[in-house]
Amino acid sequence: MDVELQVVGAQLRAIAEEMGAVLVRSAFSANIKERRDCSTALFDGAGRMVTQAEHIPVHLGAMPDAVAAVASHEPGPDEVWVLNDPYRGGTHLPDITMVSRTELGYAVSRAHHADVGGLEPGSLPAGSRTLAEEGVVIPPTRLDEETLAGLVGRMRQPDERRGDLRAQLAAQLLARRRLGELCARRGRERVAAAMTELLAHAERVVRAGLARIPDGRYEATDWLEAPDGPLEIRATVEIAGDEAHIDFSGTAPAHGGNLNCPLAVTRSACYFVVRCLTEPDLPASGGAFAPVTVTAPEGCLVNARPPAAVAAGNVETSSRIVDVLFAALAGLPGVPAQGQGTMNNVVLGNDRFVYYETIAGGQGACPDAAGPSAVHVAMTNTLSTPVEALELQYPLRVERYGVRQGSGGAGRHRGGDGVVRELRVLEACRLSVVAQRRALAPRGAGGGGDGAPGRTLVNGVALPAAASADLRPGDLVRIETPGGGGYGPPSR
Amino acid sequence: MATLGVDVGGTFTDAVLVAAGEVRTAKVATASSQDGSVLAAARAVGAFEAEIERFTHGTTVATNALLERRGARTAFVATAGFEHLLHLRRQTRAHLYRPCAPHPDPLVPLERCFGVRGRMGPGGELEPVDPESVPRLEEAEAVAVCLLHAYRDPSHERVVAAELRRRYPAAHVVASHEVAPELREYERASTTAADAYLGPVLGAYLRRLGAACAGAGLREPLVMRSSGGVVTLDEAASHATWALLSGPAAGAVGAAVVARRAGFRHAIALDMGGTSTDVCAVADGEARREAERLVGGLPIRLPTLAIHTVGAGGGSLVRRDAGGALLVGPESAGALPGPACYGRGGTLPTVTDANLLLGRLPETLAGGLELDVDAAKRALAGFDPAHVIDVVDAELLRALRVVSVEQGLDPREHALVAFGGAGPLHACALAEELEMPAVLVPAAAGVLSALGLAASEERRDAVTTYVVPLREAGELPADGVADLRYAGQSFELAVPLGPGLADRFHAAHEARYGYADASREIELVAVRTALVAPGPRIELQGPSLSARGPELVQLAGATCWVPPGWSGETDRDGTLVLRRTG
Repeated sequence: MDVELQVVGAQLRAIAEEMGAVLVRSAFSANIKERRDCSTALFDGAGRMVTQAEHIPVHLGAMPDAVAAVASHEPGPDEVWVLNDPYRGGTHLPDITMVSRTELGYAVSRAHHADVGGLEPGSLPAGSRTLAEEGVVIPPTRLDEETLAGLVGRMRQPDERRGDLRAQLAAQLLARRRLGELCARRGRERVAAAMTELLAHAERVVRAGLARIPDGRYEATDWLEAPDGPLEIRATVEIAGDEAHIDFSGTAPAHGGNLNCPLAVTRSACYFVVRCLTEPDLPASGGAFAPVTVTAPEGCLVNARPPAAVAAGNVETSSRIVDVLFAALAGLPGVPAQGQGTMNNVVLGNDRFVYYETIAGGQGACPDAAGPSAVHVAMTNTLSTPVEALELQYPLRVERYGVRQGSGGAGRHRGGDGVVRELRVLEACRLSVVAQRRALAPRGAGGGGDGAPGRTLVNGVALPAAASADLRPGDLVRIETPGGGGYGPPSR
Repeated sequence: MATLGVDVGGTFTDAVLVAAGEVRTAKVATASSQDGSVLAAARAVGAFEAEIERFTHGTTVATNALLERRGARTAFVATAGFEHLLHLRRQTRAHLYRPCAPHPDPLVPLERCFGVRGRMGPGGELEPVDPESVPRLEEAEAVAVCLLHAYRDPSHERVVAAELRRRYPAAHVVASHEVAPELREYERASTTAADAYLGPVLGAYLRRLGAACAGAGLREPLVMRSSGGVVTLDEAASHATWALLSGPAAGAVGAAVVARRAGFRHAIALDMGGTSTDVCAVADGEARREAERLVGGLPIRLPTLAIHTVGAGGGSLVRRDAGGALLVGPESAGALPGPACYGRGGTLPTVTDANLLLGRLPETLAGGLELDVDAAKRALAGFDPAHVIDVVDAELLRALRVVSVEQGLDPREHALVAFGGAGPLHACALAEELEMPAVLVPAAAGVLSALGLAASEERRDAVTTYVVPLREAGELPADGVADLRYAGQSFELAVPLGPGLADRFHAAHEARYGYADASREIELVAVRTALVAPGPRIELQGPSLSARGPELVQLAGATCWVPPGWSGETDRDGTLVLRRTG
């Protein structure tokens, strides 16, 4: 590999990272500034993802669709475009994506905003049945002051939304400036060549990793918990030489709730598993996914069509897709037992405030190591909001925050323990909980024990996996997150 | 009338003695007992024959005890319901794509984490503290106490700490408000736990050193803290986490002194050793500070010089990944076996081997080590040494950008101060890439940390947490720094106190993030102040020479590579000032 190109490539990565730092440090909502629920990336002129500052795996495979959606409008060099429509480049509505042109290609930032309007505060309704109920749907739109004002006017806490969107805008402008500087210094051709080489390098590394996996057809099935009964996800992984084809034929059709997801989200989950099993230390680049194809029947749960609701697809269904792929590949080096398999999304809010968090749980154990406790598993890796910061900014009090000891599955290597978190609300508000693994426990592997399923309780009364409720001042929400499965039979 | 600085590093202990315009230096191998090494270095530099007015010391005892987990048996006491704070961290996993990668172990295991009843809220007491609920401890040598919202109201913590000190007079008890009275309970708890855990170890070392100095007729040393200033030995022993960056801080202070004296207000220190490189920006003659950093994977929330460390040094190993990319570090050949060319049994290729093959190292290093060119060639078979240097330089460039461009500092206004064994080999190429106007190579490049110690100021930092609208903050101290943000943000910008604070914050926000919003409320999060007693004014000296690239310049304890197109000469201090001339 040409070393000068490698050097320029490192500079491109630094630009993506600096975009992320600007976004986090100048944002206003806890979900971006404390939890860092956002990603930033640079694309080449052909719409390929050159490099991504890695924060959130679920953003990994879903950004190229955003660039394609905006590129088709032929944006001007000084324009910034915005979108969140899951069927035109988005994932679920709270993830707002900005795309703008740079000297060479595009810069992209994606952040999960605390509210984008819709039925319920936080825009992650437990019971939505169509996309329109989940919030403002933004097709690819050129952003100016007027559009910005119009958008935030349809969301809760417009002032905070405006602040967060301006932080995102600052990241876009930074990328444009830095790419300009880099091209001036190195020459456009060299920078373009470096982009191509970053993509090609990632592809070579992943192909080498795939070639190490024995050829064959690997299959598995798993289920999501829905109010009207379990929903089946079936995956077939075909490894042939240095390529992988992942197909979801046999998966349940899209359902009337919101566990559906667009194919972009499904791809993200597939790419995550490929990264884990080939080269975990590779810097994120779209080239890694060139040898991977993903197909799913149109209109099924994991390739939904409008106007299907998708709020939980991005956070929950994506987690289950990872579970089913790992189950298919069970026994290969590095494949863990099932982890908590949910993000435990909790939203509390009214017309005055919206607070969103996801809660960590147990990681499934690996063939050679225990599963870590109290960590985010698979498709997210957001930080917690500090108790003190939360209590300063919101009418909420944390009563308990601890490791859920004993919830990890037994085994030669133990599954990680989940978390217990209790939030007391100090003013009347709505609660939405979007979670999974409340009935179906994370399974152990190779004879290891299952992790304990999670529980959601309001004033001691258990709620189903996805639920909403009106809360009065003093009500207590208790979340017990699932433990991870163990690996191998326990000794004795 | 003389000033002595002694810096203990992993391989060598360095001493600098400044007396009557003369600078003497010495290097001795670090022995297993650091106090012994300090006295040996002091003896080697002739300190026992001089009248020492001031003795300053940088130590790695605290850092090593943390990295090697050799601290005290510690208990952790938190608000009931939050006993597991140290184990929950911030809920992220250690590696995005390695599901079972472990985090570093917390300093206190779960079974020694306890809760006390009582609750402080953001606006004051919610439930009185119950001293009866303070846990019964067995054989805890140290106890860390961290209660919620103690950054704002420490009264509950005071009660609990007093009760623990009354019951266990031999235990080292630290309450979070005593060491890091700042918002965010995990980072504060982590800092407090480290302070308690390291206290007995550092305390015992410093007492031993104090006694050894007294026995040898040497005055008691002042000790370097991470914040870049020295304090008395007793103060240093009372809060051990402050000493975690004792050594690197001294190097940055030394670089600031050299840059200032050479006439550069802004500079970046580049300290490249065998396994890693430390970089730190110097603004207006002072090394920049930050409020928090990770040490051994644990957040330490204390005023610290803003030193950024990357795992790339002279001994970093060179390899190729499956996609054919050349990678350098973070694995290192270490001191033993060291680079292949050291001829101590190393066979893996390192950055030093590449520098040797490119003619950027002499055949015999300062100190007498003969380099084996054939061994370097064998180790680097299949690698182009120039490419190795390009890749390690790219890594160093990223580090330099982190402390400059990403902080809103323009490298074109900064000189690059290169030191450590390998810094002066790479500096000109880095400066050229970032268009920095000059490279400064101090005469004491090999012992700059010890020089920084000799010149360091006495410094005591304090922080007061506010979290109120700026307009309601009342009268603020005249000197110091305000941590400000727009109400609703989570990250602050540090703005020097003084008139026009609000306007200067808007301007800083505009500079850093590209926009400002005068209509938003500004929130004052904290005020940081420091009591400073200036260090001694020291005169430097060194050999007088000039260089024109391509040229290899041999310095005491370091080698400088001057590439084609670069040239310069030493200034009155003996600092080699190199500029792009060709």
